[in-house]
Amino acid sequence: MNKLIALITSTILLIGCNKGNKLFENPTADKTGITFENRITESDDLNILDYLYFYNGGGVAVGDVNGDGLPDIFFSGNQVKNKLYLNLGNLKFKDVSKEAGIQGNSTWNTGAVMGDVNGDGLLDIYVCAVVGIKGFDGHNELYINNGPSDGSKMVTFTESSIRYGLDFDSYSSSAAFLDYDLDGDLDLYLLNHAVHTQESYGKADLRYKRNYETGDKLLRNDNGKFTDVSEAAGIFGGINAYGLGVAVSDFNLDGYPDIYVGNDFHEDDYYYLNNGDGTFKESLKDHFGHISRFSMGNDVADINHDGLPDLISLDMLPEEEIPLKSSEGDDNVQTQKMRIEQYGYHYQFTRNMLFINQPDGNYTETALMSGVAATDWSWSALFADYDQDGEQDLFVSNGIPKRPNDLDFINFLSSDQIQNKINNTKLVDQEAFGLMPSGAIHNYIFKGNSHIAFEDMSDKWISNDTIISGATAIGDFDNDGDMDIVTSNLNRAASLYINQTDDNANYLKIKLNYINPNKFGIGTKVYTYQNGQLQFKELYATRGFQASSEPIIHFGFGPHTAIDSLKVVWPNKTFQVLKNIATNQTLTISPDNPKPFDYSTLKPKNKSLFKIVDDGMGIDFVHKEDNYVDFNREKLIPYKASDRGPALAIGDINADGKEDIFVGGSKYVPAAVFIQQDTSFVKYTIPEIAKDSIKEDVSAAMVDLNGDKKNDLFVGSGGADFFGESIQLKDRYYVQKGSTYVEKELPEYFQNASVIKPYDYDQDGDMDVFVGNHIVTSKFGRSPTSYLLKNEGGMFSVVDNFEAKNIGMVTDAIWHDFNADGTKDLIIVGEWMSPRFFENNKGTLTETKQINLNGLWQTIEPFDIDQDGDDDYLLGNWGTNSKFKASQENPLKMYFADFDGNGNTETLTTLAKSGKEYPIHNLDALASQMVSLKKKFNTHKSFAGKELKDILSAESIENAEVLSITELRSGYLKNEEGTFTFVPFPIELQVSPIMDFLSYDFDNDGSPEVLAGGNYFGVKPYHGRFDSFSGALIKNENNVILGHELGLDFNQKSLRHLGILPIKDKKYLLAIFNNERAQLYQINN
Amino acid sequence: MKKKLGILLLTALALFSCAKKQEPIVISPEDYHGSVDKVTEVMIHDIFSPPVASRIYAYPNVAAYEILALKGDGYNSLQGQVTDLPQIPEPENRENVNFDLAALIAHIDMNKRLIFSEDRIEAYRDSLYGIWEEMNAPEFEASKAFGLKVAGHIAAWMDKDNYKQTRTMPKFTVDSDEPSRWQPTPPAYMDGIEPHWSKIRPFVIDSAAQFKPAPPPPFSMEEDSDFYKEVKEVYDISNEITSKGDESEEIEIAQFWDCNPYVSVTRGHLMFATKKITPGAHWIGITKIASRKTDSDLAKTIYAYTKTSIAIADAFISCWDEKYRSNLIRPETLINEHIDDSWEPVLQTPPFPEYTSGHSVVSGAAATALTSIFGDNFAFDDDTEIPYGLPVRSFKSFAAAADEAAISRMYGGIHYRAAVEIGVNQGRSLGKFVVDHLDMN
Repeated sequence: MNKLIALITSTILLIGCNKGNKLFENPTADKTGITFENRITESDDLNILDYLYFYNGGGVAVGDVNGDGLPDIFFSGNQVKNKLYLNLGNLKFKDVSKEAGIQGNSTWNTGAVMGDVNGDGLLDIYVCAVVGIKGFDGHNELYINNGPSDGSKMVTFTESSIRYGLDFDSYSSSAAFLDYDLDGDLDLYLLNHAVHTQESYGKADLRYKRNYETGDKLLRNDNGKFTDVSEAAGIFGGINAYGLGVAVSDFNLDGYPDIYVGNDFHEDDYYYLNNGDGTFKESLKDHFGHISRFSMGNDVADINHDGLPDLISLDMLPEEEIPLKSSEGDDNVQTQKMRIEQYGYHYQFTRNMLFINQPDGNYTETALMSGVAATDWSWSALFADYDQDGEQDLFVSNGIPKRPNDLDFINFLSSDQIQNKINNTKLVDQEAFGLMPSGAIHNYIFKGNSHIAFEDMSDKWISNDTIISGATAIGDFDNDGDMDIVTSNLNRAASLYINQTDDNANYLKIKLNYINPNKFGIGTKVYTYQNGQLQFKELYATRGFQASSEPIIHFGFGPHTAIDSLKVVWPNKTFQVLKNIATNQTLTISPDNPKPFDYSTLKPKNKSLFKIVDDGMGIDFVHKEDNYVDFNREKLIPYKASDRGPALAIGDINADGKEDIFVGGSKYVPAAVFIQQDTSFVKYTIPEIAKDSIKEDVSAAMVDLNGDKKNDLFVGSGGADFFGESIQLKDRYYVQKGSTYVEKELPEYFQNASVIKPYDYDQDGDMDVFVGNHIVTSKFGRSPTSYLLKNEGGMFSVVDNFEAKNIGMVTDAIWHDFNADGTKDLIIVGEWMSPRFFENNKGTLTETKQINLNGLWQTIEPFDIDQDGDDDYLLGNWGTNSKFKASQENPLKMYFADFDGNGNTETLTTLAKSGKEYPIHNLDALASQMVSLKKKFNTHKSFAGKELKDILSAESIENAEVLSITELRSGYLKNEEGTFTFVPFPIELQVSPIMDFLSYDFDNDGSPEVLAGGNYFGVKPYHGRFDSFSGALIKNENNVILGHELGLDFNQKSLRHLGILPIKDKKYLLAIFNNERAQLYQINN
Repeated sequence: MKKKLGILLLTALALFSCAKKQEPIVISPEDYHGSVDKVTEVMIHDIFSPPVASRIYAYPNVAAYEILALKGDGYNSLQGQVTDLPQIPEPENRENVNFDLAALIAHIDMNKRLIFSEDRIEAYRDSLYGIWEEMNAPEFEASKAFGLKVAGHIAAWMDKDNYKQTRTMPKFTVDSDEPSRWQPTPPAYMDGIEPHWSKIRPFVIDSAAQFKPAPPPPFSMEEDSDFYKEVKEVYDISNEITSKGDESEEIEIAQFWDCNPYVSVTRGHLMFATKKITPGAHWIGITKIASRKTDSDLAKTIYAYTKTSIAIADAFISCWDEKYRSNLIRPETLINEHIDDSWEPVLQTPPFPEYTSGHSVVSGAAATALTSIFGDNFAFDDDTEIPYGLPVRSFKSFAAAADEAAISRMYGGIHYRAAVEIGVNQGRSLGKFVVDHLDMN
């Protein structure tokens, strides 16, 4: 009884403790003694006009410099002197800057990092500087630690950059210590940044021409003297690299450290894979589909327990509507295309990017669905298990005093107020700066969960602030086992975030005692195993932005008081295993009889199911999409409709008993036919079909339509460009006659086809055809007419009373017997609609089931996913890794009307946030279609934050056609005795739109699996690019294997159709993509 | 008694002073210049492209002019001379209407309809309305009612010029596969502006294609081709004049006639726009200079603005028709690609195809219109660009100014020779047609 009371009391106490208290507390400067303030003073000679990174702030480095077991803190100042604070314990710090001799001599310091440069076991400090701009003087400084004086905790340093060859007088941001050549000592990667000059804009190959001031440098440690090996090592150093972030990790797990560099503005980020011979290969485009555009800080951690290092790269996308709509937006489609195709840059989008590292070396970018895409003007990202629940959390520092990308400032205020001043006097006064809005945004903190998703805990875990925080580092300042945070702030005292997790969850802190001269064990990997759960960490101190964190490894284990085992892989490719380790301790690990570690054991072991056939057996097909840009005609539509081809039909096209291939062409490009010969395919031209090359072939069916037992061809035309009653929109029906084909008449209709599905629905012995249509050209949102064509003696007529005529924007359909009466019924899916079920009752199709599930459905496939004996329906949707968001409470909506009464319709999409509906587009985009809005809102400020109801009149909203969506996830309709419940797929299948499913027994286990493929690029840069889906094999409800482990090369390609192709006695997988080469796979079953 | 009388007198006096004296309202040419300057200022703020700006000048002038023609000072209505222009209504009661005032009110009201920042025109209007009401309320009210009524009629006609429809027409599609085609240019890589301007109803010319110029030299990057020679000439001239420095006559000329309403600038971390008046606005400024120099009365001033702004508006329609027909690539793109990847023109390349030069066509047309009004060899000092930090330049005639404006585009590195030489002639032919076809006085 007493025990119970005690339990209740402690529960209440626990609840009481958590309530109202934040996970982090901020002790004030007068308590801690940390008074460092990075005060910057704007002057007429020196401001953001003269030096673009005027507001980027200084650096912060955390580490135990005096060997007392407590991490100390070093701050570098832009215009103020550097400071070193010794940690006295109990969160008291002592300013020893003067005595330590680290105050610095450079005019403008930037990043600061700690590392044991000379291998004496003491942390030295490297301080970067910007030199040569605006009279900035000095050079990067290296403070070698002289060690603590006898019997005291005091330390002194000697500036020795010249002796070590590290006294660079260039535009440095930060630096990272790493042993890239595995020779045992620490080398240095120096991150530099460009400044805007006319020459720094231009083609991407500017990066090949090294420039001393702006180019990054790789510096090899040769017995205490650093040698610049950049050129020979393959490190870029051009005039266009605005380096703001550097992360070191063995990304590809071959034992050699690799480097990721985040570059601001137009230059791509760099992904340097270490070749192991002292050189690197920059490999960004091969492994990343797209990257952040204004890349700032970055960080690495394994967030999904697969032992592969994942990566976040920060950008500056605002979360709130007001800054979002008043800041400069994304590139337009054509500018982006030009930058990529003509200038040689990669796809870049303005938002944070979270890259999940996959076993095949490619990255799946998930920031939007993981909830970390928009944290405004962000500088530092630091992963750590802050609440020690076993999952990596994320801290993001941010803020800028003035937003220079404010549209009103750019377009109106600057010109009115400062233009003459700039032109005439080259000075800008404070009044003009005052016109830029403040970007003082609170720091963000996210709680990670086990499904690569993060929850924003900013107002729960930390106090809201309006401090401008930049460089950030973590360490256990109060030595209680949980990770604390320090941020360097502009014009405010630095902030300490002291973690109050304390005894609520268990930790393990690891200090490494590696061999000289890398005492701290930089580059060591630690794996822990607890209850089947893997956690993986790698020790690199330089993390986030212009900073280095305490060189220790920290894990959280929630309630577990012990862990099963721990594996340490040392930088020299040896390892040791420790077992049954108690948590809540600081473990110091030294190499203890380590064994050689074989990195190949980390590679996937299983032979992959699919293997690409290199020569495609003669199926040499590259689909080339035409140049039509839907957004040029209908500027506000949510995505394209012109890129849904090509059509694919597999069948015996020449009556020789072997399966052939028909693949459609885009506008003006003839369709391709590949005839199966004895050992390969030969491309063949059927003149009757080739004559219709002007038409875009979106869907096709090869089947006997005229009852002569030979296949005929039905091709659906689309392309979203031709309009009205253009004959180019007419579908085609070709009949096999002898050795050729003859085109036959079809009923008069003009639509953009999406799906052609033959079936003898009236059971009269011939094939009828369902023709699903997608859109009405130039009237995006209006339902086209879809048709049921009845076959009579090989000629088709439109079935008039077809119920599904005006069903919406159809994308796919199946004939499938859902009511188990022996005849197939019709199920139709499409965009902005629910899956629709039409029961076939002796040739009459009647809608019998209503499923309220509006989505952007792309494809449907019957499959018994729950293995209960009846068919469920797999449904491919848009996915959640998108700026589109949709739920019952906050549906995605599309309005369609002639809002400005000029005879043309406008289509606009709105996103709901907390029940408030906002247009997706900003003022300039909306006004490009509705000029009158410029009169209603003559500044961006007056528009930003306005809901749809404040933008358009109630009357025009009321008169518009409205379509809405409440579900964006792909998933399946689970069949439970004829009633269907929607079950979403796991998050890994939500990264991109799923465009096709193929059901087949790929692994030859006697029951079919479903292969899913997707990705879609027909969106504006606002959305980015859905390029991360590698395909997946769906075995059952609980077993999904991603394409990275299947041998599929679907990444960065937009799939349209999958098909099984029998060649001789074997079955092959054929994959057809939009604007890409077709792929043929051998199935290794 | 005496006291009472005193009170009575005081009351009478008070009454008398309450019933204010009604002064006649006189509208001077300067009042009209003021309204034109105001709309120029708002256009700069709101950022209108050159073709759109030309439309914004023309319609308000036509509204004012039609009121003057109705007044009967010897000016003829444009009805029947300008496409589809309807007869404007008579005032209900002619007596109280001050036609000059009504013309100015119509001008202001049309300006307000055409720009975005209505508040800026309203503030200007309201301060004038206050003065006029104070001076002579009945006359003001009657004139206002009439001026606004005419503005409504003109606006209804204006609304049928296809402007609204062209707003929702397709954006220009860049075709980067064809080397002769125009592509967006640094630093902002803006979309091609107003690709459908040829579909705007012209004022006087029959159709946008009426003054279709001869095509430019055939595209070829063979070194002995005429086209290549023109590309090289732009490059060579540019190098020659930049080596002479910013003080060189050619660079001064280029900058004087820049007339780019939106020059995108990046400095440090700041992006902003340097905004100037458009080519049309420059010639509207010259119209003001000429009107003032000749002490023109209000009627002649409005006549001059109207005729010149119509010529300019039609010139833009004609020029834009050719621009998106020939769809020719800018020198900057070709020189960077083939000759010198770090070359940049003296002026920022404006965001539309090269051929023919808009400033050349417009200058040719405007100068022809102005010559017909103020005579040939009309020497003037052009101080239009002073507010934008540029000096005064003096010309011996409108035609000489037009020639300089045309060649300035080559100095600026944004046009080839054919575009300026053929362009200025295109403008002159068009201007002559407008002048010959308009019987205004």
